[in-house]
Amino acid sequence: MVQKHQDDGGGKKITLKINDNEYSMVIEPHWTLREVIHDKLGLTGTKEMCDKGACGSCTVIMDGRPILSCMTLAIECEGRKIETVENLEVVGNPLVEAYADNHAMQCGYCTPGFVMTAKALLDRNPDPAVEQIKDALEGNICRCGTYPAHIDAVLDAAKRLEGGKK
Amino acid sequence: MKPFKHYDVNTLDEAVSALQNFAGKAKIIAGGTDIVGMFKDEVFAERPEALINIKTIPNLDYIKEEDGMLKIGPLALLEDIAHDELIKGKYTALAEAARRTASPHIREMGTISGNICQQCRCWYFRSPNNRFNCIRKGGEDCYAEEGENRYHSIFGNVKDCLAVNPSDTAPALIALGAKVKTSKRVLEIADFYEKEEPKKTTVLDDDEIVVEIQVPQPAANSKSKFEKFAIRKSIDFPIVNCASQVEMDGDTVKSARVCLNAVFANPYVAQKAAEYVVGKTLDEETVTAAADLALQDAKPLTKNAYKITIAKSLIKKTLLACK
Repeated sequence: MVQKHQDDGGGKKITLKINDNEYSMVIEPHWTLREVIHDKLGLTGTKEMCDKGACGSCTVIMDGRPILSCMTLAIECEGRKIETVENLEVVGNPLVEAYADNHAMQCGYCTPGFVMTAKALLDRNPDPAVEQIKDALEGNICRCGTYPAHIDAVLDAAKRLEGGKK
Repeated sequence: MKPFKHYDVNTLDEAVSALQNFAGKAKIIAGGTDIVGMFKDEVFAERPEALINIKTIPNLDYIKEEDGMLKIGPLALLEDIAHDELIKGKYTALAEAARRTASPHIREMGTISGNICQQCRCWYFRSPNNRFNCIRKGGEDCYAEEGENRYHSIFGNVKDCLAVNPSDTAPALIALGAKVKTSKRVLEIADFYEKEEPKKTTVLDDDEIVVEIQVPQPAANSKSKFEKFAIRKSIDFPIVNCASQVEMDGDTVKSARVCLNAVFANPYVAQKAAEYVVGKTLDEETVTAAADLALQDAKPLTKNAYKITIAKSLIKKTLLACK
């Protein structure tokens, strides 16, 4: 039996939960999550670089997973818990200071993507080994070549999360 | 991206009806990491009108052993498959293949069903705005034949198309003897790939979708292994990959399955290598002869003979790892 669709396949009003805010808006099917976060909502921390899922710069955390907002359709994100780099300052996450103190950036454009990937790792594994950090960050590209500094920054942030116990 | 229609469905039946309503002009979206890229680059000769989102169907991301086999739901994520203890232990090649697919972010989004259904990465096919309307899109030429073909087929063409299948999990599933359950039938995964018509990647009809992957439990004395050669350790598609499963009887091989991918339009079952090792011990000499036999039929293009050397090396490595 052929069933009828309830909707007309076009834009629809949905609620996005980003950081601790809820945004109700009409989303068109062809809008990516990155477009909505950066261009429509003005949360400009989430960067577009390759726009083809190959660099990690647009990483946000959705339901605990680091995902690429440039390859995600925003219309499919209703009810999902989305976290962008802006939230780190709000919750006081030590990754921001650890990244600055360890100079884990040069031009800085890829940094929010790295930081969000690292946040997703530390949320799951607060005491990662060097190899685990390398594995987690292997989808993020930095054309300035700051890779070694990221490992120091994430180890440093892990230490700060433990209150300097280690 | 240019606009398209988008529908959420709540059941597999609804997904099938939606596909029927669009009569070939709608595509399924699961993880989206392939299809969204195709929409962005406008690679289609005939652009789909709609996407049918199946992520809204509950409970399709399961990984479980049942009825003597491993059952994987179509929405199981590659990252979860890569880290699943059961799969790592018993279905090793599949966990390794999932782990080597793309990047962590893509694995957190991409599904097993999307990975086995993905389109080729041929740079003529993928060139934005359908710049090369090739055979795979209904055109008349394969631009790789006389063009840049360093990543193309080494085992000939399918109706002149020289693109290769880029999936990492497909050869692992073939080595493990998996089946694909669709909304219409159950297929051996080796038969899941379209052999005659380059316009299609799989044999799926326009209104047919993958509903489960079924992997038989490996025999007690068997091991499996996946190896991949790519430019970078992460993110890149394979230049060649290979998976083998070997069942031993004491020191000798009782049965074996070997599958290469990224060397032909479909995952390439290296039948000659698998047959050669049966009854023999897995030593350097045996696996070298098996690898040579498997690549005997290779027909490299102007710029990709190096892939033969890589394929041989991967066959040897995976077989030796199954000792």
